[in-house]
Amino acid sequence: MDKLTLILWTLLLPAAGASAETLLLRGATVHTVTNGTLTPGDVLVRDGKIAAVASRIEEPADRAIDLVGLHLFPGLVSASTELGLVEISSVRASLDVQETGEFTPEIESWTAVNPDSELIPVARANGITHFVPVPGGSLLSGASSMMAARGWTIEDMTVRRRTAMHLFWPDHSLRVPGPKASEKVKPLDEQARERTERIRVIDRFFADAAAWEKRRPDSPVVPAWEAMLPVVRGELPLVVHAQGLREIRAALKWSATHPRLRLILDGGRDAWMLADELAQREIPVIYSEVFTLPAQSSDAYDVQFVAPAVLEKAGVTVAISEGSGGSASRQRNLPYAAAQAAAFGFSRKAALASITLVPAQLHGVGDRLGSIDVGKDASLFASTGDILDIRSEVKHLWIAGTEQSLVSRHTRLADRYRSRPTK
Amino acid sequence: MTPPAKTKFISGKMPAALVLNFRLPASLVVAVLCACGLTITLLSSDELRPPAVRPLAASVHALVGGRVVLKPGEELERATVVLRDGRIEAVGKDTPIPADARVHDMNGTTIYAGFIDAHVSFAQKGSGRAGPMEESTSVGFRDLTAGSGADFVGAPSVAGVSGPDSVVTPQRRMAREHAPDSKALEALRAEGFTAANVVPDRGVIRGTSAFVSLGSSDSEEAVMRPDTFQHIALTVPGDDPRGAADNNRDVAAYPASLMGVLAVVRQTFFDTRFQADDAAHFAANPNARPRPAVREGFAALQPAARKRIPVCFEPGGMLMVDRAMQLSRELDLQPVMLATGQEWRRPDLMPAAAVTFIVPIDFPEVPKLPDEDDWVAVPTDQLRAWDQAPGNPASLRRGGREIALTTHGLDKPDRFRVNARLAIARGLSEADALAALTTIPARLCGVADQLGEVAAGKLASLTVVEDGRYFDEKARVREVWIEGRLFPALPKDKKDKKDEGDAEGAGKPDQPDEKKVNEALRGQLTDAPAQHDRGPLLAPPAVFIKSATVWTSGPRGRLEDAGLLIVGGKIKAVGTITADQVPTEAIVIDRPGIHVTPGLIDCHSHSMVLGSVNEGTLPSTAMVRIADVVNSETETILQQLAGGLTVANLLHGSANPIGGQNCVIKLRDGAGPEGLKFEGAPEGIKFALGENVKQSNWGDRFRQRFPQSRMGVPAFHTNRFTAARQYAESLAKQQREGGPPVRRDLELETIAEIIKGERLVHCHSYRQDEVLAFLRVMEGFGVRVATLQHILEGYKVANEIAEHGAGASAFSDWWAYKLEVYDAIPHAGSIMRERGVLVSFNSDSSDLARRMNLEAAKAVKYGGTPQEEALKFVTMNPALQLGIDRRVGSLEPGKDGDFVIWSGHPLDTMTLCQETWIEGKQYFERAEALRRAGERQKMRETLLAKAKTLAGQDPGGKGNEKAQDKFFHRALEDRQNHRCLDCCLDHKMSWTN
Repeated sequence: MDKLTLILWTLLLPAAGASAETLLLRGATVHTVTNGTLTPGDVLVRDGKIAAVASRIEEPADRAIDLVGLHLFPGLVSASTELGLVEISSVRASLDVQETGEFTPEIESWTAVNPDSELIPVARANGITHFVPVPGGSLLSGASSMMAARGWTIEDMTVRRRTAMHLFWPDHSLRVPGPKASEKVKPLDEQARERTERIRVIDRFFADAAAWEKRRPDSPVVPAWEAMLPVVRGELPLVVHAQGLREIRAALKWSATHPRLRLILDGGRDAWMLADELAQREIPVIYSEVFTLPAQSSDAYDVQFVAPAVLEKAGVTVAISEGSGGSASRQRNLPYAAAQAAAFGFSRKAALASITLVPAQLHGVGDRLGSIDVGKDASLFASTGDILDIRSEVKHLWIAGTEQSLVSRHTRLADRYRSRPTK
Repeated sequence: MTPPAKTKFISGKMPAALVLNFRLPASLVVAVLCACGLTITLLSSDELRPPAVRPLAASVHALVGGRVVLKPGEELERATVVLRDGRIEAVGKDTPIPADARVHDMNGTTIYAGFIDAHVSFAQKGSGRAGPMEESTSVGFRDLTAGSGADFVGAPSVAGVSGPDSVVTPQRRMAREHAPDSKALEALRAEGFTAANVVPDRGVIRGTSAFVSLGSSDSEEAVMRPDTFQHIALTVPGDDPRGAADNNRDVAAYPASLMGVLAVVRQTFFDTRFQADDAAHFAANPNARPRPAVREGFAALQPAARKRIPVCFEPGGMLMVDRAMQLSRELDLQPVMLATGQEWRRPDLMPAAAVTFIVPIDFPEVPKLPDEDDWVAVPTDQLRAWDQAPGNPASLRRGGREIALTTHGLDKPDRFRVNARLAIARGLSEADALAALTTIPARLCGVADQLGEVAAGKLASLTVVEDGRYFDEKARVREVWIEGRLFPALPKDKKDKKDEGDAEGAGKPDQPDEKKVNEALRGQLTDAPAQHDRGPLLAPPAVFIKSATVWTSGPRGRLEDAGLLIVGGKIKAVGTITADQVPTEAIVIDRPGIHVTPGLIDCHSHSMVLGSVNEGTLPSTAMVRIADVVNSETETILQQLAGGLTVANLLHGSANPIGGQNCVIKLRDGAGPEGLKFEGAPEGIKFALGENVKQSNWGDRFRQRFPQSRMGVPAFHTNRFTAARQYAESLAKQQREGGPPVRRDLELETIAEIIKGERLVHCHSYRQDEVLAFLRVMEGFGVRVATLQHILEGYKVANEIAEHGAGASAFSDWWAYKLEVYDAIPHAGSIMRERGVLVSFNSDSSDLARRMNLEAAKAVKYGGTPQEEALKFVTMNPALQLGIDRRVGSLEPGKDGDFVIWSGHPLDTMTLCQETWIEGKQYFERAEALRRAGERQKMRETLLAKAKTLAGQDPGGKGNEKAQDKFFHRALEDRQNHRCLDCCLDHKMSWTN
């Protein structure tokens, strides 16, 4: 088995460069995301881009692959993850996911992605072609990057160095007295004052960033302020990470006084409670809480399953993620979070878009990724069934027109130990 | 009337020994008094005292013209009470006033028997003994290194261990330690109390309480009964919701979990009985055997163990009341219960009338929250607890139980009457409230011959109230009499007066009396009865599913267009069912397109456990039992039912090589802990290997406990199994040949059961090397391991696992969260199955347990396990692994009627669980679940509105921070949200709102 894998690799590797050939993907059920489903359809790939999508393409191609019986999807895009920055979550030396300090806007996550992480092929094997590693942090952590799930180097992998700036909204919960008399807590009013102060700290930082925009041209360069410039100008989205109603509401209130900012909400456990406001202000949500347990014992058992449907109904744009915390090894399950939402009322169309086109658009690469459309990168995959169904298997996967290996640490180990004699 | 001869005798023969402070040992005084047949401690006024010492006050009093409440429900208007030499000489309407009496005009007062508080702690805050623990973190290291043999002490905190770490101090006697602050006495007297039972406040087995008079801070004078109760707190030391003194205890010391606490209690009582038996054997054979050690603590526990004094249980949560009752039966104890304040949750689980409850009335009050949105985060359960609390005394009384009220838990005793009034507003009768302060505590504390009623011969301890009866709002305690001595109430301080002024201002007739309105609001119950929306939705005599795709998980496989008939909770028929087979009263389910599967089974859960799932302190905690701490109240039961789960194997965590005993439950929502248990399921135990047990990820403090490497783990298992075998042999030898009794050792007893094949081992295991090492050690003791849990590298040694015969209860696809799972692969389940291992998938998470069918689907995706076989990973296979396959796991006639109705294919992500049935009863139905959630949400809104109205208000009219702090205390039953996989250390409960 190992040998076969190697042979496959050597066959594929020469093609890893920009391929000038044309490739015809024939006869699959094509889930375009933008223009419905072709059953069946053909997709023509030229120079790594999608050159044509139609029920039948007669144009000759250098190579044709028969995909009859398979389903063709655009590559999945993981909107918010630690993938690439974490190898083994309990081993400190393998973590590059969080910096110290409260304001580090000059940080860019692509710089620390390990191209040889064993976790990347595992995610890729289930259809993930692109992912957005998010720098963790205690406040303004830095910029995320859009990475392809293949490449010899980080530069090969990087699709876009800066896709969004990330702000982890301060926790608004109050520390309350527990049973231990020894553990003193500050009076609630004082804590409330402190959290207001935390927001002021954010506010001052953004005011300073805006002021820097008007600096004299000959003043020295400050990388941090430089990095903030596209954010305050509204050129780069600001992703606010917030889960609870208090945090989300406070972030919305604060951002209303900064009309130039392009806000995206990430996390969003309670976002459904503010669905109308989010819709009205056109703030998209990267929802990571499908499988979170209900926050209140009085909540319906499905409150978090239903949340994407509630947001969709209100008109909010929804991406679904596995969460940026501790999720690096779980990325392959991304489609099932969307599936759970779909089972509970989220439309199938929105569910598929929430893990393809929407995250691509939110991170500024909607013109290149996220759907099977002419002119876009040929990043797509063929599976035995609906990718939202766990039982489906990915059989082929292309990134920018190049077919990728679906071998991973897991298949290697499975093959190796399957070859162990049974005695 | 002439003074009784006895009085003369005392004044003649005992010349003022006590008053002159000749320090006689208390025991001698008691002995002398007992010899006199009296317990009088005050002497008559003709006592001769030294010059310059104030002569004693008059000892004969006539209290004339008051309303005398002889006992609850029996009163005399304008009566006279005659007191002589500390006793009530006479009481009646026409009782003549003795010529030698000092006469007191009691017009306008009500005179009660002196009030008794059955549970008072005079704990000194910050006293030396309660200080932080020593630096050492090597918990019981001394006792636990390998090689300790059959003498290994599974529970080092048995009585006799000295030092601050000890939580077993039955030898502590409040009679010896009683030295209250005079201010504390004054505060109690100001509320009308004249006597109290003073309790120890630290540890698990805490020591004995002493019944004292509140008339003196001199313990020798005050103590009336030295050992009222032995006190046992069923709460983790350091986690006492009423703030016991040992809240700073080191959490790394055993016991650090609730189940550990219960194990300590059991072992200590067995040790107590053993010490007595061993001593008796030694006395009979003084020259033929080793001399036994004598431990003071065990000796001190004898009276409780022999039911000579009651045991006052102090449960840390409502379900622990039920547990305390079972423990009492198991250990043959005479229980008295300190109420938790949460008994309203499950009146059906509270013990019958035979047990008296001492009931604190430290009700929580709602604080002001800084922002409107902060209310959103308030847990619904806290709102309910706040709303229900004042009804708790009445709820307990309703069951016919006797209750005694106590000031315990109140910040200041002056909240007592305020809260007692609230309790009365919620249905406690005044007569019951009065009995709860007089006759009941007197009887409970064994002083009914002296106190509790106003009657001739009793001690002259009286509570005198003016401006109404005690529970009237305007009434105040004017004075108390304690054994003939008068203690007038102190004038109110300025602060009180100011409050009074405010109250008057608020009461102006032209203004709405907001305070009154709020008080009335607090006095009403808003919440619905605690259990109103729990329990089965339908319980028909028979259920008939007409046509469905039935996944039997049995030999018949998947049946299309098949019927399923359940009668009397059991499966009657599967497949083709004719109309005449269906009882007329059957519920018929006839919906197209549905699939039916057996109820799902989770072979690894920590979801319904009270407190920590780990007793992670000692390397072997075989003596602790999950069965002691099953949480029947948590809403995770409903959430998991909603995913089709019907059976869960509740396991101890993986913090030690030998963990605690497991408990298999059925998710029969609405039942109590005992009702959840899967009757007849084989007993088992959790073991663990690898990173968790060698404390790899616990931080630098944890580097001393054995084992610290994978080499040490088999050495440790070998050690404990050898010890258990020796233990079993010594027991057998003793039975065969006699000789000294053998100490019952709960740890070794449990391990010996494994060796005998009576207990299943469920072992958390990851790496292939440790798995083989473990299997070989077990084989050496003739043990077949039941399941290897998680078993992430099991695919590497599938041959050996199959050969050994262990089951594999695996994660579907978790990996890379720690070094030892870097080689975990999602194909593991399929590969192990291919090689003949019985495989199940488990959740280890309250989230995943909601969708075990989708976990099973991953076995199809990775490795190509056929769909029916994959479904068995969460039905038949775990049933086989747990030894419960004769009743559950498949849909076959004769088995339990546990099944799930799905909207479509059970392995499809688009499928919804529609209904979940257990034993022919419907426990989940999607529409009904949503309807109930809607109602709960409405109730939450109502409670929130009430809470916001009353926030920061206080029926007492005074600031009461402690009561407001209590609002945030989450009930033990509500304190769980288990999400961690591979659980080895529980996250500390963070107290946030």
